Amino acid sequence: MAQNAVILQDLVAHYGPTQVLHGLNLTIAEGELVSLLGSSGCGKTTTLRLLAGFLQPTSGQITVAGKDVTKLPPHKRDAGIVFQNYALFPHLTVAENVGFGLKQRKVAAPERKARVDAMLERVGLVDYANRLPAALSGGQRQRVALARALAINPPLLMFDEPLSNLDAKLRVDMRVEIRELQKANGRTAIYVTHDQEEAFSISDRVAIMNAGRIVQLDTPEVLYRRPNSAFVARFVGFDNLIEMKVVKREGDLVTAEVEGGALITLSQAETGPLEDRFVVGARPEGIELTADPSNAIAGKLLTRSYLGRSYQYKVDTPTGMLIANAPLTQLHEEGGAINLKFNFEHCCILPVEEN
Amino acid sequence: MAALGPWLLVLPATMLLFLLLVLPVAGTLKESFDGASGGLLDNYQAFFADEFNRVVLIRSFKIAFMSTFVSLVAGFLGAYMIANASPNLKRVLLILSVFPLLTSVVVRSFSFMAILGRNGVVNTLFLKIGLIDQPLELLFTQGAVVAGLAYLFTPLMILSLVGVLENIDDDLYAAAGSLGASPVGVFFQVTLPLAVPGMIVGSILVFTGSLATFVTPVLLGGEQQMTLSTLLYRKAMISFDWAAANTIAAIMMAITITCVIAMGALANRIAAGRKMR
Repeated sequence: MAQNAVILQDLVAHYGPTQVLHGLNLTIAEGELVSLLGSSGCGKTTTLRLLAGFLQPTSGQITVAGKDVTKLPPHKRDAGIVFQNYALFPHLTVAENVGFGLKQRKVAAPERKARVDAMLERVGLVDYANRLPAALSGGQRQRVALARALAINPPLLMFDEPLSNLDAKLRVDMRVEIRELQKANGRTAIYVTHDQEEAFSISDRVAIMNAGRIVQLDTPEVLYRRPNSAFVARFVGFDNLIEMKVVKREGDLVTAEVEGGALITLSQAETGPLEDRFVVGARPEGIELTADPSNAIAGKLLTRSYLGRSYQYKVDTPTGMLIANAPLTQLHEEGGAINLKFNFEHCCILPVEEN
Repeated sequence: MAALGPWLLVLPATMLLFLLLVLPVAGTLKESFDGASGGLLDNYQAFFADEFNRVVLIRSFKIAFMSTFVSLVAGFLGAYMIANASPNLKRVLLILSVFPLLTSVVVRSFSFMAILGRNGVVNTLFLKIGLIDQPLELLFTQGAVVAGLAYLFTPLMILSLVGVLENIDDDLYAAAGSLGASPVGVFFQVTLPLAVPGMIVGSILVFTGSLATFVTPVLLGGEQQMTLSTLLYRKAMISFDWAAANTIAAIMMAITITCVIAMGALANRIAAGRKMR
């Protein structure tokens, strides 16, 4: 069992009178990359700022590498941070930027140069050592920022939406590069992003945040298949949330009623044990369009849009608007009546949330 | 015909500038080169031959340099405070620092007489706390002129620096801190170097302004601390030596232009030096 590199305990934080974190707990194992994923205002950046020391928590404790750093100022925390806008020093060359942290640590000039060169080598920017940041492209700047953060050998790497200023293609390349560098060095890292695909592709575990709390912390695989709440389900692409009420149990089989009266039979061998009331989360590809009315929800087909690999249909049903994807070979006309059947392989079961 | 339209539109302003600025300045320059015995540089030779003039010239330089330095330090502190204040406080501080610019130079220089005079605030205070037993002669000294000029021009320095300091991205401070720079280290390695362009602009404004002002050296320096501008006034209005007055004006103009060019070149060299390294 790897040692815990970072422990955040009951963190509460305020911006003025507004509470932005409501008792956040998070433990990161050594060498692990954990993403904080959420929309803006969910508290993910606040968490990072607390960890870096730019912000003081109202209460709670932060432990990094076995040391309580809660009250330490940023320059005593040894955090390697990669910022969204790179935050390169515009008056310093690439090499001076990368060597900045070593200079603060009073590393002698010859050794500093050797380490900076090695770092630039690793990110492929040796030829740019004497350029100013203004002369670099976005991707190159991000590499410099990465090299600068890694140069100080930090026990913890922090990424604050590092790729959101890059174009889509470069974003994918860079995240692979970041992941490789992080793994190669065995660094513990925390990665803040609002991009689900980015978080899932790069992380060992992802913490999905909402309104100042972690809603679910799991591996990408678990999050993708078994979200624990409607919020997470919507976040990972279960666009349809349909509430059902059990009306009949027969061994393994459960018959449940959907608003509007449609009856659906589910097998608990497939879905796991079901409460008397539950919510089915269905991805668009988890709903089939069919003429057969049995074991299906009837609805009226509203709009069809072309997605390339499939058509997406919006269907009006008594339980609300549902979204379904159907293969290109199966063309349905707008305005017609249609029945919706669930493919439970692409569905998840959620508890009913009272609100 | 259509191409002529725009030219016609700028004609009135051009004429005005030509009549009121270019002609008089050209006249001044021409007169300064019209020596009594026909030599082109006679007037300049006469100016530099007089030791008194040389003393005044050097004194003017010294005063301008010192007041630039004082307002650079004071202005930087002020601008730094303003740039780091909360938005509300920032507004108040900015208005307060610009407020002196709204009153006349004469009034502001007189207020300094009240501060530095024999019965002024400074002397009264020092006498009261027993630091001195006789009033100090603070007025009509070089220090008085420098203090008055620095007070006069510090708002300009603050204005030049606030924008530059505010434009420094907060993430740069955060990055420097996270990389291990102490607050003092951040100031000297990030804030100060990035403020250099503002410091140069502010220094040009204060230096050229200090060199040219007339009221402050007259009121705070008097006869003892004559500068180029007060000397010019005396030559023109008291001794009616117009050739000498024109020459001084031309010299002041040359100094100003040289300074602006030199400081601009310095700024460029700093920028270029950054690119080359």
